[in-house]
Amino acid sequence: MRSLIAFTKKEFTDQVRSGKVLFLGILFSLFGIMNPAIAKLTPWLMEQMADSLAESGMIVTSVTITALDSWMQFFKNVPMALIAFVLLESSIFTKEFRSGTLILSLTKGLNRYKAVLSKTFTLMMMWTASYWLYFGITYAYTVYYWDNSVVRHLMPSVVFWWVFGLWVISLVVWFSTLRSTNTGVLVGTGGIVLASYLCSMIPKAAKYLPTFLTDGNSLIYGLKEPDEYIAALIVTAAMTLVLLAVSFTIFNKKQL
Amino acid sequence: MDMLRITNLQKRFGDKAVLRGLNLSVPEGCIFGFIGKNGSGKTTTMKTVLGLLKADGGEITVNGEQVVYGQTATNRHIGYLPDVPEFYSFMTAEEYLAFCGEITGLTAAENRQRRTELLELVGLKDEKHRIGGFSRGMKQRLGIAQALLNSPKLLICDEPTSALDPVGRKEILDILLSVREQTTVLFSTHVLSDVERICTDVAFLNNGVVETQGKLSEIKTRFRREEYLLETASDDHLAAIIRAFPSMEKADDNQLVFCEGDASVSDVMRFMANEGISPLRLDRMEPTLESLFMEVTKK
Repeated sequence: MRSLIAFTKKEFTDQVRSGKVLFLGILFSLFGIMNPAIAKLTPWLMEQMADSLAESGMIVTSVTITALDSWMQFFKNVPMALIAFVLLESSIFTKEFRSGTLILSLTKGLNRYKAVLSKTFTLMMMWTASYWLYFGITYAYTVYYWDNSVVRHLMPSVVFWWVFGLWVISLVVWFSTLRSTNTGVLVGTGGIVLASYLCSMIPKAAKYLPTFLTDGNSLIYGLKEPDEYIAALIVTAAMTLVLLAVSFTIFNKKQL
Repeated sequence: MDMLRITNLQKRFGDKAVLRGLNLSVPEGCIFGFIGKNGSGKTTTMKTVLGLLKADGGEITVNGEQVVYGQTATNRHIGYLPDVPEFYSFMTAEEYLAFCGEITGLTAAENRQRRTELLELVGLKDEKHRIGGFSRGMKQRLGIAQALLNSPKLLICDEPTSALDPVGRKEILDILLSVREQTTVLFSTHVLSDVERICTDVAFLNNGVVETQGKLSEIKTRFRREEYLLETASDDHLAAIIRAFPSMEKADDNQLVFCEGDASVSDVMRFMANEGISPLRLDRMEPTLESLFMEVTKK
């Protein structure tokens, strides 16, 4: 247990001293501010563009902005935030493979599964903190500017997206145990997420896929009920657990 | 007792056989030089001992316990210094040793005491900068400190001196000599002067097998071939000697080398006295490690 704590402490020290905590903090705050800001600026933007829109036959009358527009921006921007997160953090294993730093810890008697556990925990904590910071900022501005009561099922919709992020992290961990280069991890993770998007075009399959959880807009507009997400939620949670379990096994046998 | 024993170790990478039935035994309390050319399998052998690579065949025991690939419990007896050690560059030397101590399971008090001793031993006591700014020599010294942290019975160093300047090299060798009392040292190298300086035992690795191993002094005796070097004032004298002893070979200007078996020294000296040739030099040649290495790897 002490070695697990020591290794996890090391991971967080790395996150802080390498500037990742600061970078993610700033990035997710900016994204968080952008959502209500863009919603707030929409009428003004529409006004500016009214002339050119009129030329193409569209007539701008009055634009009403509600809390829903702010949350729509939230779901539009969160994929970019997740991509930035993955790009920044995906080398958490591979940089140690490349430099050989992990070998010294393992030859000191650190169990291999503890290394995987620490790094997974660190990634999930970093994602959780960044994501809820992003949510908190958007929420604070949105309730300040608009009436948030028009938004249906807000909590389920944002929790589902958070779970989707955890699933992506489990992919990063899994590919890190399979591949030794950062490119391999990114290509693998991106490939699976893309595959999930493509498969969701099959109507019957869509509601069982992790990508289904990213459809927050249908929930906040009340087009779908949270119950409809349960299948996807179970599949995603199960996949996450299985991927992590498999990662432990693979890493135990990995040649370093 | 043997601290490390390797029996018939085999390892292939793809279709390249790196180790072909390697046998090695490292007695307790020695400084063991593991000598071989680049690519002869030294690092592969060491990584297999540490359970980082999976052997294709053979058996390894450390302190009498069998080495298992993956979850390698025998590593608690071992301190390991890789050829180019890399540490978490965002830590200071002291933080890094504290981290290693926690991983290896030292109590807080032991941890503090050991790291103070070791930082003193390797001369990094007053170094407060992060490891990112360390020179190679400093990293190598920190590497030894981390390897010795849990007072290992066996210290394995992979070419600890090959990337260092003469000062750094001397520092490392001195540290290795000074820890000999507490731990058995196995280090791989292709720098033969280092071996000559500190090793008690050696093994020559060639083509994935150990060609020869044993006490350095015994190996030197075993390979001693009564070899002599004779230097005369002029080439004419040399030519006269070679005419009389056709098996002799000219080595250089005015110099020739011969073995006792080819021509006895007393005969040569008698001939020279009769002919009035006075030698400038007559040396009995000690086998150098280099000549030993050449001879062993030539086979």
